[in-house]
Amino acid sequence: MNADFFIIVIYLALMFGAGIFFSRNIKNTADYFLAARSAPWFWIMGAVWATNIGFLHGYLAHGGAAYEWGLIQANFEWFQGPFGYVLTGIFFIAFYWRAGIYTVPHFLEKRYGTGIRTIYSLAWLIIFLVTIAAELYLGGMFLKNLLHIPFWPTVFVLTGVVGTYTLLGGLGAAIMMEFVQFVIMMLGTMPLLFILLHLVGGFGGIKDILISQWGVSAQYFTVLPDIHHPYGPGPWIILGQCMVVTIGWCAGHQSMVQRNLGARSLYDSKLGYVVAAIPKTLGAFLYVVPMIAAPIIFARYGIFVEKADAAYGKLILNLLPTGMLGLFIAGLLSAGLSSIDAVLNSSSTMLIKDIYEKFLAKGKSDHHYFIAGRIATFAVIVASLLLVPVVLKVPLIMWLEQTLLAMALGPFMGVLVLAIFWRRANTPGSLVGFITGAVFAVTLQQGFGVKVFFQISWWSFVVTLLVTIFVSLLTKPPKKEKVEGITWESDFESMVGVIAEERAETKAMRVTEIAPRKITRPPWYLNLKYWATAILLVQVLLLFFFG
Amino acid sequence: MRKAIFLLVTLGVTCFVRNSLGQEKFIDVRQEMANKLTAVKTAAVKNDWTSALESFAGAKEIWRSEVKPMITEGVKTNEQFQEYFKRLAEIEENLNSLAQILEGKNTEGVETKANAVIWSISHHPRGFDLPKPRYSVWDWVFALGIGLGFCIFAIVFGLYLRKSYYRRYKKIKIMN
Repeated sequence: MNADFFIIVIYLALMFGAGIFFSRNIKNTADYFLAARSAPWFWIMGAVWATNIGFLHGYLAHGGAAYEWGLIQANFEWFQGPFGYVLTGIFFIAFYWRAGIYTVPHFLEKRYGTGIRTIYSLAWLIIFLVTIAAELYLGGMFLKNLLHIPFWPTVFVLTGVVGTYTLLGGLGAAIMMEFVQFVIMMLGTMPLLFILLHLVGGFGGIKDILISQWGVSAQYFTVLPDIHHPYGPGPWIILGQCMVVTIGWCAGHQSMVQRNLGARSLYDSKLGYVVAAIPKTLGAFLYVVPMIAAPIIFARYGIFVEKADAAYGKLILNLLPTGMLGLFIAGLLSAGLSSIDAVLNSSSTMLIKDIYEKFLAKGKSDHHYFIAGRIATFAVIVASLLLVPVVLKVPLIMWLEQTLLAMALGPFMGVLVLAIFWRRANTPGSLVGFITGAVFAVTLQQGFGVKVFFQISWWSFVVTLLVTIFVSLLTKPPKKEKVEGITWESDFESMVGVIAEERAETKAMRVTEIAPRKITRPPWYLNLKYWATAILLVQVLLLFFFG
Repeated sequence: MRKAIFLLVTLGVTCFVRNSLGQEKFIDVRQEMANKLTAVKTAAVKNDWTSALESFAGAKEIWRSEVKPMITEGVKTNEQFQEYFKRLAEIEENLNSLAQILEGKNTEGVETKANAVIWSISHHPRGFDLPKPRYSVWDWVFALGIGLGFCIFAIVFGLYLRKSYYRRYKKIKIMN
């Protein structure tokens, strides 16, 4: 155990040093909040995935849910790849770029007005604070259970490492650190799968033992279970998860979007997002498949597991030899740190851009907002630390957080889809639609006791869509200049990338008015369409094989 | 009014904390029992039967005085204890078998029986107990309707967008 502890200390020291190194040359808000728009596509790919995968949305909580419910948990990886990453990369990112925004709420304001921006910002700030606190809690508990390190000192060390480089370096440092952490995560945690499959005789062996010998329900191995499934009924997965939650998450989650806004070009941004679907798909093999094999290991070796959330830690603690365990924990810490830094950075961006600059200190200098950004990062760190003891008392963190998201994502998807694809959608329509959708989601959950959050998100999406359309048609259409350039109709060819960037510079200019010039296609291996098609085919094959 | 709110909040927090503490204790006692059973396995491998019997007696005592009463009482108010309640007979049977094996000082079977008890007091996946999939015709109609409907919608909508775009803007030539 000493060797493992030593590896973790070295890892944290290296992360701290690298973070400080990457934090140089940060001078203004564009550097701090958008990484000076300099990241190539492969950094974006790593950063997006590392942001998405943490203790909460990944190894520990999703791994625990996979232990509890089986292969259905792979939906979060296999459907989010093609539906969330690919569709967002192809359809939504261009509009954010063209609008010249810092935050997703900022886009909503450009299209709809201040009201919806404020509501959306506040909702996400609350979710972000809970997320950071939950990540810190899970990380602290994880190390406490595994290495018997006291909880609070661990939480403070983790916060110190991630807080320092995020506070000093902003998005640029965060993206670079996330890419490094993406590599460590992949290399550090993948060996578990092979060790487990070797022990249980492959995926066929898991099925054989659990279904044939133990008589486990076949639904434990189903990606799309029947409509009576208590955790994720198949039809609601297709409707709620694929069409609302995953796209809303990828297109509406400030941390995910902000990484793409930090890309050096629109094409890099899109390609990074689309290609990130590959590690996302692999995520199921990092923590879903191993956790399905976990019960066999627990029963075979007499390993006590008290609850689903603890299963992942128990598995690696009892299975991995000294040294490898340390490397594995370093991989897991990477997942946690990358998610925390992303949310931390995004929270401060939203606090400054959507609240402070908008309502409290208009028209100040760029340097003023840059310093305010650092203070906001520090404030978010302190607030999250204060929340940790509360999160500690919530037994079903995953459930609470997912439900909050389901309530926010449905209405957001409704107004976003209409913002981009329907020029007639207007400010009163979106505001009434958004509020009605959110209230409807809460009513469904609290009033009618609906527990499946995909169901809540789907119906709140539909209600938002209908109410927004209805109210928009009853009120005045938006002015032409308000929708020009940030609605779909004027951006079909943006997949080439160059046009959109050029049009962003010359807002009023039509494509036909741009002087003829040589536009080069990217090489075939960087072609967005090929990548997107290949990823979709892989997903179909995975569903065919495992579903 | 303020007093009523304060009392309600205090009551809520008290109930919540009491519930959490109860759950933590249930984890602790099972963990302690599992540790004792692991010690039984280790001692048996070393042929240290005195130590094995001592550890087993400790495990059985925790089971008798702590774990079992918590399950039988807990199941009345909390559904979470149901899974352990269902396995009570199984645990008792395995503990008795283990006692017999240890009395006979037989190394064989100690690990299997001890592991079986540890696994029985562990949390089992809830997905294990789900009924067999009950797909009806409506499930397929629903699923195919959504899937095919979405594909048709995507194609039609995509073609419409493409057409509407070129109606507004001239198609540009990309030169290599």
